[in-house]
Amino acid sequence: MQDHIHSAQRPHHEAEELLPWYAAGQLNPPERLVVEEHLSSCADCREQLTFERRLIQEFRSLEPQVEAGWARLRSRIEPPPRRREARKGSAPASRLIKHPAVAALAAAQFAFLIFGAGMLLWLSRPTYHALGSTSPAPTADVIVMFRADATVEDVKSSLRAANASIVDGPTAADAYLLHVPRQQRNQALARLRADDDVQMAEPIDGAVQ
Amino acid sequence: MSWSARITRVPAGATRPITSESELIARVGAKDLQAFEKLYRLYQPRLARFLANLLHRPQLVEEVLDDTMMVVWQTADRFRGSSKLSTWIFAIAYRKALKARSRWPDPLPDDGLEVQVSNDPGPDVELSHQRLSEALRKAMTGLSPEHRAVVDLTYFHGMGYREIAEIVGCPIDTVKTRMFHARRRLKQALPGELSDWL
Repeated sequence: MQDHIHSAQRPHHEAEELLPWYAAGQLNPPERLVVEEHLSSCADCREQLTFERRLIQEFRSLEPQVEAGWARLRSRIEPPPRRREARKGSAPASRLIKHPAVAALAAAQFAFLIFGAGMLLWLSRPTYHALGSTSPAPTADVIVMFRADATVEDVKSSLRAANASIVDGPTAADAYLLHVPRQQRNQALARLRADDDVQMAEPIDGAVQ
Repeated sequence: MSWSARITRVPAGATRPITSESELIARVGAKDLQAFEKLYRLYQPRLARFLANLLHRPQLVEEVLDDTMMVVWQTADRFRGSSKLSTWIFAIAYRKALKARSRWPDPLPDDGLEVQVSNDPGPDVELSHQRLSEALRKAMTGLSPEHRAVVDLTYFHGMGYREIAEIVGCPIDTVKTRMFHARRRLKQALPGELSDWL
């Protein structure tokens, strides 16, 4: 019985779901036909359609409350010359890396980068602690590269989400060395790798304790 | 089509008029600043409107809009046309907006979809256009950003549910369900009876 009622209501439910896009003229012909057939026999949906059209009319009359900011954006595109020089070098590199031979070379360089980062940290570790010092500086256990377009806020947000802190960087390749609590490391790595603003995140445990 | 092939075909700084969005984005990919300005002016009002509905802080709207367009500027050469240009740009804006919201939540509670029913006069009072607009704005703030996005992309931007699903990165049925519930909430939140609106 319940199944019977459910199947009897299905055309109504389907048509009702599609009404906003019917009103907006965004359905394909078969979908339009389904809605129109149902409208011919359903007063509720006809009333709903009038409401949809009114909503569209009202929505389109609402003005955005933000001013144009081309000048502001342009100043971000054309930063001071020194910074621009740095970017010039990095953009073609990201395109080149798609070439297999270059990608292999990049992978080798990346391995070297991780090794180098580890060595750098190992060499820079203090060999002694002041008396009374109870909390040594956190060690790096993850290396990360952010996307070129990530903002400072994006980076902060990514770090907070992974519960990570920057230990060192940027390196010559614009990578950062991070510390994440050991027990949360897998989770942090997963979060960083899933993050839109993170280009790469890898553990560097082999090099640094 | 490779990036270098496109560069050759559409040199940066070319002066002939741009006739299509695909040509416009190809020129932006070739770092043609004039083309980018044109694209910006084309999309800024729509994005501003979309973001203003998602984020209730004007300063944040500007920031996210700029960030979105910076991503477009920096990655336009990777746009392959597998989706519509508007879908690609709006999807970037949506992701950036949700991320910004996680840093700066709305000043008003809206996650529970609890909408205040207005105590304004009922059906016998004619509702002015201004009052209706204001009521609609208020009603929208009662929706979650995910619901607001679907409502705005449908009613204002006139997009189909398939395109919206691509933008917000969820299944088509989820878009339909969000829209269904959002409409119900909007109706509950508007002052007077439904007949006052018809």
